[in-house]
Amino acid sequence: MAAPCRQVGHQIQRKSRFLLNNFEQLWSHRTFGWTSALQQQAANTCKVAEPTETIVIPKKKTWSKVAVLEALAATVSRDPTAHPYQFQDDPYLTPRTASEFRLYSLSQESGRSAAKYFVNSNPKFFTKDFAEPHIPCLMPETVSLCLEETSEEALKERIKLRKVKAAVDMYDQLLQAGTSVTMETTHDLLDLICLYCDQDPVDDQETQTEDIEGAAEEVTKIKGRVRRATDLLRSTWKENNNAERIFNLLPERDTRCYSALIRGMVKHGAFARAFSVYTDMLNDRLTADVHIFNALISAAPEIKDKYHERWDVITDLLKQMSQQKVPPNLLTFNRILKALRRCGSLARAHSLYTLSEMKALGIAPSLASYYHVMSIACHGASSQATNDIFQVIMTTLEGTSFTCQDPDDSLFFVSAMRICFDLKDLQMAFKVHSLLEVGENWRFLRDSYQHNLYYGRFFNLLCLMEHIDTVLEWHRRLSPSLYYPNSQNLSSILQALDTDCRLDLLPAVWKDIYTLGHDNKADLVEELLALMARDTHSPEVQESFAECALDVKNVIDRVGRRPSLEWNPASLSHITTLLLRAGKIQQAWEMLQLFKSNNRVPAQGLLEEFLSVCHSKGSTQMAVELVQTSATFCLSATSTLAKRTLAEFDLTEEQRATLSDLESAGESFE
Amino acid sequence: MFRLLLRTAHAARKSSFSVYESCLATSKCDKNAAQHFRVANGGGARALSTTSARHCEKKDEPALSQDEEKINEAKDADPTEKSTLVIHKTENNKLTEQSEQPEGLKTDEGGAMQTGVGVEEVVAATKQVETETKAEKNGKESLIDLLGAMKVDVTTKKKRNLKPKRIISGSAPRPNPADMESTISMFQKATMEAASQSETLDPNLVAAASAAASTLPNRNQAQSELLRQLRENEATTQAQKKGDINHLGMLIADMKVGKHYRRQNSRPSNQIRFDEDGKGYTEERRERGVSAELDGVRRRDLFSGRRLNIFSTASDEGTVETAVAQPTLWDIDFANQLSLSTNQLPRNGLEEVIQWTKEGKIWQYPINNEAGLEEEAQVMFHEHIFLDQHLEEGFPRQGPVRHFMELVVAGLSRNPYLTVQQKKEHISWFRDYFHQKQEILKEADVYISEA
Repeated sequence: MAAPCRQVGHQIQRKSRFLLNNFEQLWSHRTFGWTSALQQQAANTCKVAEPTETIVIPKKKTWSKVAVLEALAATVSRDPTAHPYQFQDDPYLTPRTASEFRLYSLSQESGRSAAKYFVNSNPKFFTKDFAEPHIPCLMPETVSLCLEETSEEALKERIKLRKVKAAVDMYDQLLQAGTSVTMETTHDLLDLICLYCDQDPVDDQETQTEDIEGAAEEVTKIKGRVRRATDLLRSTWKENNNAERIFNLLPERDTRCYSALIRGMVKHGAFARAFSVYTDMLNDRLTADVHIFNALISAAPEIKDKYHERWDVITDLLKQMSQQKVPPNLLTFNRILKALRRCGSLARAHSLYTLSEMKALGIAPSLASYYHVMSIACHGASSQATNDIFQVIMTTLEGTSFTCQDPDDSLFFVSAMRICFDLKDLQMAFKVHSLLEVGENWRFLRDSYQHNLYYGRFFNLLCLMEHIDTVLEWHRRLSPSLYYPNSQNLSSILQALDTDCRLDLLPAVWKDIYTLGHDNKADLVEELLALMARDTHSPEVQESFAECALDVKNVIDRVGRRPSLEWNPASLSHITTLLLRAGKIQQAWEMLQLFKSNNRVPAQGLLEEFLSVCHSKGSTQMAVELVQTSATFCLSATSTLAKRTLAEFDLTEEQRATLSDLESAGESFE
Repeated sequence: MFRLLLRTAHAARKSSFSVYESCLATSKCDKNAAQHFRVANGGGARALSTTSARHCEKKDEPALSQDEEKINEAKDADPTEKSTLVIHKTENNKLTEQSEQPEGLKTDEGGAMQTGVGVEEVVAATKQVETETKAEKNGKESLIDLLGAMKVDVTTKKKRNLKPKRIISGSAPRPNPADMESTISMFQKATMEAASQSETLDPNLVAAASAAASTLPNRNQAQSELLRQLRENEATTQAQKKGDINHLGMLIADMKVGKHYRRQNSRPSNQIRFDEDGKGYTEERRERGVSAELDGVRRRDLFSGRRLNIFSTASDEGTVETAVAQPTLWDIDFANQLSLSTNQLPRNGLEEVIQWTKEGKIWQYPINNEAGLEEEAQVMFHEHIFLDQHLEEGFPRQGPVRHFMELVVAGLSRNPYLTVQQKKEHISWFRDYFHQKQEILKEADVYISEA
C-alpha cells in the first residue's frame, strides 16, 4: 500500500492543477496507474461506511460431470447445410442419398463391431494399459470362460457371460454333486434361461451394437415380417424346457422365481401357460410383483378372443394388483393402453379412464401412453373425433422435454406426424415439430428410417398446404441434413411449384433430384419434363429449361443401360420441345435423331413446331432434312410439312424437287 | 337493457364485466375478441358490436347516426335507445375518466361536453342522455326518477333533432329487426314468477327495475323479465369470478338476443381441409355417433374424466419398493431396449465428447489433475514427506547407518512417483537388510537395536 500511496502523492503534487481541473474526468478514466490505487482507497472507505450485512454463502453445488459439456452443446444449433455429424470425419464419404447414408452408417458400425470383436477375442494382444487413470472400456472384455471346475462361482461366471447352455449344465452338475446353490444364483439362472428362452443368445454384443444403426432399418425394410418370424423361430417357449425343469426341481419357490418364469413365458409367446403358472403361484399363497402383472396384462389380448373378455381379464388383474397392494408403474399403464388397442370399440372410453387413473395415481404418462391413446382414438374414428383428442394431447404436451421410459416412446412422433398428414392439419404438424425440437426430444426419432418417415410426411404436408416459398425454405432446412427426400417428396415439390405457378424454379428442383440420386426414377423425371414443356415461358426461363433438359438428356444417356430409365416418346419430345423453344436448333436436331435410334416416332405437333423454328431461324437445309426425316418415319404429316416448307422457305431447285417428291409420296401414302 | 345500464358503470373499470355484458347484449359479439367490447358494450345495436373500440370512436358519427336511424325505425324501442346512450357514456368515460367519480355528476357532464366525443351533432342529443346515464352510477335511488323521465326526453329529442340527419353507413351492418324484437321481447315476455324471485335481489334494484318497466307498455312482463336478467347477471358474475366461461354460452342461449353462434369446432374455420385420400371427412352424421364418448374430452383436460377406480390413490404404503441392490437381467435387457429405441448418435462434437465422458474415455469436467487418484487422495501429504517417524525403530539413533537412512528418507520424501505404502516398504527393506547384516555391522562397531 505504501508504494502506490507515495506514488499517488507524488503524482498529485506534480499534477495538482491538472487534477483539480479534471478530477472528475480522471476519476472515471482508468488510464493512469494511480487511478486504480485511488479507487482502491475509495473502495476501502466505502467498505467502512457501509453497514455490515450478513453474507449468505451459497450452498456448494455439485455439478454432474457432463454439465459443462451439456451447456456448451446446447449452444450449438443445427447447421442446415452440414451433413450428419457422424460423417464429418471423412468428407469423401459424405452420403448424398438415402441408400448411401444407410450403407455408410452400416459400414461404420460394422467396422466398430469388428474391431471390438477382434479386441475381445484376442485379449492377449491387448495387454498394455497406457491410460492413467485406467479406462475400462478400452480394454478387452472377458468373453470366454475362465473357471473350469464345478462350483457356484463357475455358475455365476457363466450367468454373467450369458452362456445359457453352459450355465444349465453347470447347475445340473452342481445338483448331482449334491451342492446346494444359493437362492440368489438360482434367481439369476432362471432369469437368464427365461430371458433367452433356454437358448444361447445369438452373438449378443455384435447384434446389439449393430442394431443401433442398421438392424432397425433392415427390419423396416423387410416390413418386420421376417424379423418377427425369426424371433418366433428362435424363441418359442417349449413345454418343460430347462427353465420349467429347474423351476420344478426347486425345493421352495418365491415370487422372483415365478416372476422370471411368467415373464419368460409371456416374452416368448406361451401366454396361456403364463396364466396357469400365475394361478399356481396364487395357490402357493404368494403375492405377485409388478413385473408379473405387467407381463400378464400384455398377454391378456392373446388369450381371449372377444373384446370385452380381454378387458375383463385386464380389469381382473388390476383388481388383484390392488388387493395384493402392488403399486402399478408407468409400464403397467402403458401395457394396459397397448392391450386396449386390441380391444376394439371398448378401447376408446377405457383408454381415457386409464389416463385419468394414471393422473390420480400421480404417474406421469410417457410418450408411449399418448401414442397408444392417439392410435386408439384414430382407429376407425371420424376425423373430428381424432382431431379433438389429438388437439388435447398436443396442448398437454406442448413444450415438454421427455426422457425415454418405454420402448414404444419412439413411435410417438412418427405416428403423430402421420395423423397430422391424415388430417391435413398443418398447424398441428408445426406443433408436433416444435415439440420434437424441445430439449432432447429429437432422440425419439430412432434411426434414419424413422427420420425419413417423419420428415417425409411433414414435407408432403407442407407441399400440400403451404406456399411454395415456405416449402422451399423448409426444403433447404431439412434436406439433406436431416433426411433424404424420396421421389414422392420431390414429386410433391413439383406439384407445389405447379400449383403456385413457380415453374421457373424447376431447374433447381432438377438439381436436387440429381443430387439425391433420384435421377433414375423414370416417372419423376418425366413429370419434371412434362411440367417444363407444358407452357411457354419467358426467354430466360426457356434458356434455363433447355440447359436442364440437356442435363436430363445426358443423365438418361448415361444410365440408359439400366432398365428403370430409358427414352420414351414423351420425354424425347419434351426435351426436343424445350430445346426448340430455347432456339437450340442443333441440339434439337440431335434429339430428333435419337427418336430414330430408339425406335420411337415423333408427334406431328413437334415436327411442325420444329419447322416453325427452322423458319424463324431461316435454316432451309434443316427444314428439308426435317421433312426427309419425317418421311423416313412414314408419318402422315410428311406431305403437310413438305407443303409448308415449299410455301414458306426460300428453296433451291434441288431442294424443291426433293420436297415435291416427298409431298407426293406422303399423299400417296395417305 | 336496464341491467346493462347499471352494469356499465362497472364496466368502464372492469373489462371482464363489460365483456360479459356485451355478450349478453349481442350474441354476435362472442365471435370477436373480448377487448373489442369495451366501448361497444352497450351496443344493443349490432352495428357497433362487430367493430372494434377504436373503430367506434373514430367512426362514431356514422355509427351513432345509424343508431339514431334505428331509433327512428323503432320508435318505441326504448331499450335500444338506452343502449345507444350507453355507448355515449362509455366513450365519454373513456375520454374523461369520469367513471371513477360517479358523484361528480355535474363536472362529468361538463367534461363530457368539452371533450366531447367528436361528434358535434350528437352532443346536443346526448347531453340529456348523458345526465341520465351518469346518474345510473350515482345510485339506484335516482335511477328510478331518471328512468321515468328518460323515455320521454330521449325519444322526443332524438326524433326531433336527428331525423334530418339520416346517414346510413354502408359499412355497418343494418340493424336487424329481429334483434330489436328480441330485445324488446325481453321486456315484454310475461314471466309471472318474477315477483317470487325478486327476494334474492337487492330491493333497490327491484324498485329500479319496476320503475324502468313502468316506462314500457306491458309493465308486468317487463319487470319480471328485467329481474330475471338481473338474477342471471348475478349468477354469471359469480360464475365468471370463478373463471367459468362455459356458463356464458348457456346464458347467451337463454337471452335470445339475436342469433347465437356456438362454435363446435376449435379449428380455425379458414383452414382448408382436403379430402383427397378419402380418410376421414366423409360425413358429419357418423361423427355424431362415434365421437359421442369423446365429447367429454373436448375443450377439457385429458385427465379430468372418469377413472378406472381400481387403485386407491393413497397407496403410499406401497412405495416400499424392494430396493434391489443390483439390477436383474431383465432390468438390463429393458435398459438396453430403451437405449435402442432412441437415437444415441451425437449431433455435434460436444455431444460426442459427452458420450465419451460417459464411457469414461476422456477427462471429466471440471478438469482435475487428480482424477483417477481417488485412493491416493485419502493419504495426507505429511505422510509422504515426514518419513522420519519410520526410522524410530529398527535403526540406530546415530552413526553411519542412521546417516544413510536419513538420506534415503530425504530422497523418498521428494519422490512424487511412489505411494506411501511403497515408501514404507522401501524403508522396511533397509531395516531388514541391516538386521540381516547385523554381524558385519557389529564387527564395525555399529549397533542397530540399542541406542
